Amino acid sequence: MRTALYTLLAVLIVLLSAPELQAQQSDYAVKKSFEERYQRIKNRIDSTSSISELDSLKAQIVLFESDFTPRSKFLDKALYPETFGSKISDLQTHQVLTYDRVYLIQTRGIVITQLEAKIALLTGRLDTLTEERDGLFQELQESRKSVASLRETVKRLSANLQAKDKLIFALIDSIFLPYDKNINQVSDVQKDAISRRLEKANIVARIYEVARDNVKFLEMTQLQPKDYGNLIDQAHQFSNRWSGIRDKVNAVYAAGEAAGTKGAGGTGGKSVPPGNYLDSLLMVWNARLQTTYWSGLAQEFTNKGVAVKPFIDARSFSASIRSYVDSAKATGFDATIFVNEVWKDRIDKEWRESLTKDAMLGKAEYAALDKLVSELSEQKITGKFLLYIAIVLAIVFLGWWFLVRKPKQQPPAQTQQ
Amino acid sequence: MKRPLEFFLVVSALAGISSCASLTLEQVDFAWPVESVLVVSNTNAIEEGRYAVAFNVSKLAMEEFQDSTALRGATLRMLRNSEGFYFVTGAKFRHAYVFAPGPHELSMKSKIEVTKYVLRNPALNQRTPYVELVDGDAYKVLLTSDDMVEGKKP
Repeated sequence: MRTALYTLLAVLIVLLSAPELQAQQSDYAVKKSFEERYQRIKNRIDSTSSISELDSLKAQIVLFESDFTPRSKFLDKALYPETFGSKISDLQTHQVLTYDRVYLIQTRGIVITQLEAKIALLTGRLDTLTEERDGLFQELQESRKSVASLRETVKRLSANLQAKDKLIFALIDSIFLPYDKNINQVSDVQKDAISRRLEKANIVARIYEVARDNVKFLEMTQLQPKDYGNLIDQAHQFSNRWSGIRDKVNAVYAAGEAAGTKGAGGTGGKSVPPGNYLDSLLMVWNARLQTTYWSGLAQEFTNKGVAVKPFIDARSFSASIRSYVDSAKATGFDATIFVNEVWKDRIDKEWRESLTKDAMLGKAEYAALDKLVSELSEQKITGKFLLYIAIVLAIVFLGWWFLVRKPKQQPPAQTQQ
Repeated sequence: MKRPLEFFLVVSALAGISSCASLTLEQVDFAWPVESVLVVSNTNAIEEGRYAVAFNVSKLAMEEFQDSTALRGATLRMLRNSEGFYFVTGAKFRHAYVFAPGPHELSMKSKIEVTKYVLRNPALNQRTPYVELVDGDAYKVLLTSDDMVEGKKP
């Protein structure tokens, strides 16, 4: 209906202007009229954001062309180096391209409106989690005396940090979702729009906060071996997710800076991309996690008085265990404590879950080490076992000898008759 | 023997000169498709951008208005016809001027009286072999480089 009205209006405008055109006797005036009408239609195409108006402008281009077709030969010369045909073609192309752009913006606009609501919801939930986190850190500080209470707080705090982690990336996905996956294909205007949304949702500061909270959590908490599985996964996933969006965030931040807005960053200086700050914090997080983890694992050996070579990462740990096993095999010293009390009771039961993560030893390397240690155990058992078997066999043989031995027969006594 | 040689040299020189002068490109069409509408500057100059013609109009102002500064800020209409002559006129003019181009000059070929009064809003159109002069809806004449061939002076 609206399209029809616009078309009717366009026809009326053209019909009203037609007599003016017909009355023109000056070629110069015809040329000028053509140029002015061309520019007027072009300006309207540029300024409109409505699909229906673009439909009506398409009809106007058709009428414009038909009005000037009788003078096309003259215009071909007068408009040199352009021609009447090229000018009309340019106008049509411009209309089609603008139509596509406006259509895209309008249809995406619906998605964007829905996502704006989602972003607001996620932002609210993040704020709630942040408040809860503050309380939990306080609780953690106070509940150090009670082991049960401490464990419960650590569990809740860890869940809180994971929830925040997931939410923050859901929020970022929501912001980037309406635009092309390849940020290089996104226009500067759209980059600026994303930059404003990132800034409004305080995204970079929130990501930074999640990373910083995790570092603080590691510093404040005495972790149990089984706590590490989740923490390693979380750090790994966070790092991967951040790698996936780092370039996008930096690109829109740069576009925001170029457009004169503050940009998406809230933590960095004017010319330093916010991604750089997060990269350095992620390194701190990862280093802290590694240090805590490997020193916790080393403590297991120290507690049992097993002197393995010091290790600080997966590679040195693997080398240390291999070296210890080789040494035990070569010298034949008693490795029972290492095998039974450290490896079997602690490492295999408590640390295996985290050690088998790809970010640590990995399943294959852990299985290889476990096999090496098991061989050491078998070797020790075999020597003693043979002795025991020999003793048992000797006892059985002696018992049997006593039992089956026939007593010496007495000569039968002679009877008197 | 000496005379025939001199004769030969003279004939050769004349033949050379005449062969140079006889090179003429014909059927040249100088026509502009549309007139140029030019505003006279404060220094009495006009400059046509597309065909790169520029000249001083103070003598033209003197000729038409008896005042060399009368055209300052005025709008002139200029069109070159297919023969290569420049037609110039403007609002308040009674004449259309036809100029022939020469080395660094435009010399008046003819001054055609196109109205007994003055032109109000004239325009020149290319209507080969003529130049059409219109002024509003009612006035239209055809001009050659020498005279008006069709139409009536109002």
